[in-house]
Amino acid sequence: MKNIKLIIIPVIVTFLTFLSCEKDDICSETTETTPSLHVAFYDVNFTSTDTPKNVTRLRVTGIGDPDPGVLSGYDAITSKEAYLPLKTTENSTQYILHRNYRFDDNGVVLGNPDTITISYVRKEIYVSRACGYKTIFENVVITVEDDGDKWIQLVQAVNDNQTVENENDIHYKIYH
Amino acid sequence: MKMTYTIKYIINSLAILLVFCATTQAQNDSIISAKTDSIKHKESYGLRLGGDLSKLIRSFIDDEYKGFEINADYRLSKKWYVAGEFGVEDKTTINDYLNVDTKGSYFKAGVDYNAYENWYGMENMLYGGFRVGASTFSQTLNSYGVYSQNQYWTPQFTSSEGKEFSGLSAIWGEFIIGIKAEVLNNLYVGLNAQFKYMMTQDQPDNFENLYIPGFHKTYDSGGFGFGYGYSISYLIPFYKKNK
Repeated sequence: MKNIKLIIIPVIVTFLTFLSCEKDDICSETTETTPSLHVAFYDVNFTSTDTPKNVTRLRVTGIGDPDPGVLSGYDAITSKEAYLPLKTTENSTQYILHRNYRFDDNGVVLGNPDTITISYVRKEIYVSRACGYKTIFENVVITVEDDGDKWIQLVQAVNDNQTVENENDIHYKIYH
Repeated sequence: MKMTYTIKYIINSLAILLVFCATTQAQNDSIISAKTDSIKHKESYGLRLGGDLSKLIRSFIDDEYKGFEINADYRLSKKWYVAGEFGVEDKTTINDYLNVDTKGSYFKAGVDYNAYENWYGMENMLYGGFRVGASTFSQTLNSYGVYSQNQYWTPQFTSSEGKEFSGLSAIWGEFIIGIKAEVLNNLYVGLNAQFKYMMTQDQPDNFENLYIPGFHKTYDSGGFGFGYGYSISYLIPFYKKNK
């Protein structure tokens, strides 16, 4: 009986060790979760050949309540593509894409802002224990508000009934 | 840092275990020579019935768990036992993005092999065994949230509609090691550890089994599972037989 008792102690210690080292339930950054809309900018003069064309001093701001401010990484930058996060709580998201964003000597904002509306159907897909669900977007449609002075000439989806499932592929082409 | 401590604990306990194993061996050696006397001890054969105390205790102290298990074994020969368990579990899994309730019952059946050479007059077990386990259960997704690495728009979508996935089942195999010690006449207490491997399971549509009754928590990395038990059982002796 005595030696049985002596064995019990290390066995209990071993069990407690196993219990305390469960895998951390933290969503890894490499996991594909909710994707952003990936748009690329092309030259409107060569629509048939898709020649990439930079947008100069592009500033992206979302329209929402509360005001989300400027999209991080898009404060007057020159780029030939952009990643726009979409709202997972609503069926549309609006952005102001401001080209040639700068101030004159009197502090007045110059350049050309265009407002776009992205509408879509949301679908929640299970990812994992740690990440929960992600939202994917189906039937994504971009419309450009006509303000009489649009720098965006043409918007074209890459596929019919465009879906946004991952960020690697370009979803929309914007010609200017 | 945590990992180093963990390794240290494992090594320490294994070292202690080895030391005690060695002493056990040594003591047994000395007994063998003294066993030449003519007294013959008869060992009890019968049905041992019991329950799992750890699941009962956990039901009281853990708000997210309710469960019990009854277990039984029947001695076939000097070393071999047929053994089985039946249990019911209700476990809630909550993290930042999921709130899930798993309910169901399970049944396990298999054999145990007693590797312990008892001293004169004792009937303890230090055993290893194998089980096949099966469970039927349901999962209720009480609420979930959407994860987005980009937090420009906040908060992200959450749903608390509640969705039930019922009629799920799973089958697994498991190795079990443990001890059973007779503390009073025919009354045993035991400790065991289980290592499980999933053979087949129904996965719910657009979701997964986070917990399975009897199998316990599932892991993203594979079909492995772990368990432990603290049992108390009573032997109903049917007959006695010489060693």
